[in-house]
Parts: sequence; structure tokens; C-alpha cells
Amino acid sequence: MIGASISRWTMSYFAAALAWLFVALALMVAGLGFPAVHLASPDTLVLVHVVCIGWLSLAMCGALFQFVPVLVARPLFSEKWALPALGLLTAGLVSLLAGFLGLGGRLPAWLWLLPLGAVLLVGGFGLVVVDLGLTAWLRPVGPARFVLVGLASLCATIAFGAMFAFAHAGWAGSIGETILANGVPLHAIGGLGGWLTLTAMGVSYRLLSMFMLSPDVDDRKSNMTLAAGALAIAVAVVGGIVAIWLAFGLNVVLSIAAVLGLATAALYGRDLIGIFSGRKRRQLELNTRMAVLSFVSLAAAAFLGVVLVLTGTFAAHVGAFAFLAVFGWLSGLVLAKLYKIVAFLTWLEAYGPVMGRTPTPRVQDLVAEERASKWFVIYYVAVWLGTLTLVAGQPSAFRAAAAMMTIGLAGIVREVIRTRRLADVAGSLRLPDGACTPCLLCARA
Amino acid sequence: MTNQVIDRIRDALRVVIDPELGHNIIDLGFVYDISVIDGAVRIVMTATTPGCPAIRFLEEGAANAAARVPGVRSVDIVMTFDPPWTPSRIEPVVRASLGFAAVN
Repeated sequence: MIGASISRWTMSYFAAALAWLFVALALMVAGLGFPAVHLASPDTLVLVHVVCIGWLSLAMCGALFQFVPVLVARPLFSEKWALPALGLLTAGLVSLLAGFLGLGGRLPAWLWLLPLGAVLLVGGFGLVVVDLGLTAWLRPVGPARFVLVGLASLCATIAFGAMFAFAHAGWAGSIGETILANGVPLHAIGGLGGWLTLTAMGVSYRLLSMFMLSPDVDDRKSNMTLAAGALAIAVAVVGGIVAIWLAFGLNVVLSIAAVLGLATAALYGRDLIGIFSGRKRRQLELNTRMAVLSFVSLAAAAFLGVVLVLTGTFAAHVGAFAFLAVFGWLSGLVLAKLYKIVAFLTWLEAYGPVMGRTPTPRVQDLVAEERASKWFVIYYVAVWLGTLTLVAGQPSAFRAAAAMMTIGLAGIVREVIRTRRLADVAGSLRLPDGACTPCLLCARA
Repeated sequence: MTNQVIDRIRDALRVVIDPELGHNIIDLGFVYDISVIDGAVRIVMTATTPGCPAIRFLEEGAANAAARVPGVRSVDIVMTFDPPWTPSRIEPVVRASLGFAAVN
């Protein structure tokens, strides 16, 4: 296969993901969950899972359904699984959140909702993992290897999560209780570090090279980065389970994983410098400039982590560290790339079928980068301010930063909807004979 | 006569653009070869990135554009990445307007 097809449901995943991100920001503005309450409180569990499953995982899955076939130049194993997976993931997340709200006394304590949510999420993520895994496994080249390690980390993450859900309901026995009491850091590292970060790194290699016309990163270099990252996750998860089993405590294992994680970030930075310096398109588009801010956030998160460890305050400020990693690095990168992916896929849907018959606009004609850039800047500045308010222990100021993030996000989403509606394309080129405006929430079959 | 048809096909292909770079596939140097035998056209062409979802539309677009040229009976598009496309194939004026590094 020389060219991939357009993924029918990628836009649906993106729309659902953005809706969940608005929910998460609304919760933060309203002061529900951390930092108003403790990190391990049920309200914080609601917030964390809205962000990590609803926003980041759905956006990542939507992007992967489109880009894994591009990475491996093979068709998706099954296009038909994407929509049922979205349904299961959404239902599972709603059930899980209702269970957490019950745990916190905001809803009746129907704790069976937690294992039910876990089962639905295992089903949804299972479809995603098998579909994408079988697609990438057939030709595991370059960045596709990052996706495979990311999917393996996702499996570990959902295994921990399911165990926790059953333990909360009292259905997991003493082993489940022990893992629930000690294994939360492993669940978080598997999800944020393995699944989301390693996958985002892999996809970013390809997207950056494609859009800047850079040579692909040398396989030996990217393999070294991946090996460091995979080892960090393996040490954290496998070593962590052994440490819990032997009642050793997690400090040694997590310290080794942290050093390997730092090495991964440094190697990734080296690879990014190679991509940027080797690019043939000198002018950077908005999505790339904004992606740079996410890379800066990753470096800042690594620096913050080191400073907190050296000053013995990591445990006290782990929320600020995670916030910067989640909203600066991961969410920033996803938003920047989503802005570009929507424009590119919308162009293919609207104008691809009439190419050769009539003049067509460029992808760049579908976006108004100057107008959009201010929303991204507002978002990133708000994230950095939010991180500072968390470090400074100022929950009220944090809510103001969250409100500012919401304003930035609303602006970005408005731009994306305008792109989807072809609203910024000049009149004469907008709808030539045979072209039609794409559906907002999915690609036409 | 054949050369005239090839010139007309080359002109017709200028309506097909690479959506990312925003210029037509002739000026970008995507078209490696055009041959015509008794109205049967064979176009060997490339794109910037293997696996890109735009490739199918570039192929179809080139076929549509070539088929509209008088004298063309059939069009066969051969998509290849051997040799891979490089920016050195772009017309110099277009390359400058795209802001490409001169050495590339």
C-alpha cells in the first residue's frame, strides 16, 4: 500500500476528546479535585481520569487510527472496530466516573460501577490495542515501534486500573488491596509515561518529519531513545510489582525509573534537534511552532522534577510536576498536532476527490494561523502560570489559570470548527464543482 | 505529435497540487516520466512521503487531469518512491517561494 485511507472516525474521537477536556477544565475552574483536595481523593480521581482517558487517550486513539497506517504504509487491521471502541471507552469512562463520585459520597455508593467501568474500558482499549497492534506489528519500522511499546504500556496501565476498580468494590481480595494501596504510581507511570508519552514521541517523529520535510530520524538513534523509555517503564512496572510483592517499598525502583526517564527525555531532545536542523522547509507552520512550546514544557517538567527531588519536595509538589507534564507537554502537543491534522484531513475530504478536475486551495488556505496563534499562546501561558500557582500553593490563583486555559482552548476549538467548515477558504475556491463541506464529526465513507 | 500530447498532458497536470506545499506537481518535480503510445498514457510520478493519505488523491487527480487531454484514450499512473523525491527537483523559483534551504 502506497497511501493510507482517510480514517472515518478520527474526527469523532477528536470531538469527544475535546468535549472531555472542556469537562476537565470546568472541574478545575469550579475547584473540584486537586489542588482543592488531596491527590488521592475521589474528586481528584474523577479529574485525572477525565483528562487521561477522556481527553488524552481518546485524542491519541483517534490520531493513531489515522497515522499508524501512515507509519507502516499498511491499511488498518479493521476500520470497523474504531466506532465500537469509542462507544465502549465512553461508556466505561462514564461508569468509572460515576463510581468515583459514589466513592466520594457525591452519588449513591454503587461501587459496582467501578468494575463495570473497568470491564467496558478493557473492552474498548482491547479493541484499540488489537486493531492498532496488529497493524503496526506486521511492519514494525521506525516510529511504529514506539506505538507498540505504548500499546504494551497501555495494557499494563489498564490491568492496574482494572485491579484497582475491583479492589475498590471489594472484589479483588487481599492481593488487590495490597496493589491498590501501593501500586498507584505504577499505574500513573504506565499511563502517562509509557502509553501517552512514548506514543506521542513516536507519532511526533513522523509528523514533524512529514510536515517539515526532514529526513527520518536514524533508526539507531530513535531505537536508543525507545530502549531507554521502554526500560524506564519496564523497571517501574515489573520492578514495582516485585517490590510490592516483597514489601520492599518503591523508592529504589522509582529512582531508577526516573533516571531512565530523564535519559529518555534527553535522547528525545537530541532526536528533535536533528529533525529541526535537517528540515528542508525553513518556515515553521503554527502547529510546529506550538509543538516546540510543548517540547519546552517537557524539558521544564524534567527540570522541575530534578529540582523537586534535589530539594526533597517532590512528594509535596508531584501535582505541579504532573500538571506541567500533562497539560504543557502532552496536551500542548496533542492540541498543536490536532490543529494540523484536522486541516489536512479536511482538505483531503473536501478537495481530494476533485483534484485534477478543477483548481483547489492549499491546506494552508483552510486555516488562519495568525488568528489562531493567540489562542495557543493564551493556553500555554495559562498552563505555565497554573504550574507556578501549584508550586506556590495558591488554589484560587490556580482556578484563574484554569479559566484562562479554558479561554485558550475555546479559541482553538473555534478555529478547528472553522477549518472543518471551510470557513476561511476564499470564496472562489471554497466549493468548486463536485466538492462538498465535510461532516463536522466524522469522515464520509 | 506525441511530443505535443505530452506537452498538453504536462500542462493539464498543473491543476494537480500537493496540498501541503501548495504548488502543482509539475513545478514540484513529482512527475518523473510521461510516455504516450497510441493514446495510452503512462505517467510515472512520486510524492513527498510514502504512506501519506494524500497519495491516492494525487494519483486520481493526475489520472483525471491527463484523461481530459484530447487524444488520450487511457491513463496508467505508476506511483514510485524510487528514486525518492527531493526538493532539488522543484523549479528554482518555486523553491525560493517555499523558503527551502538553498543547499537542499
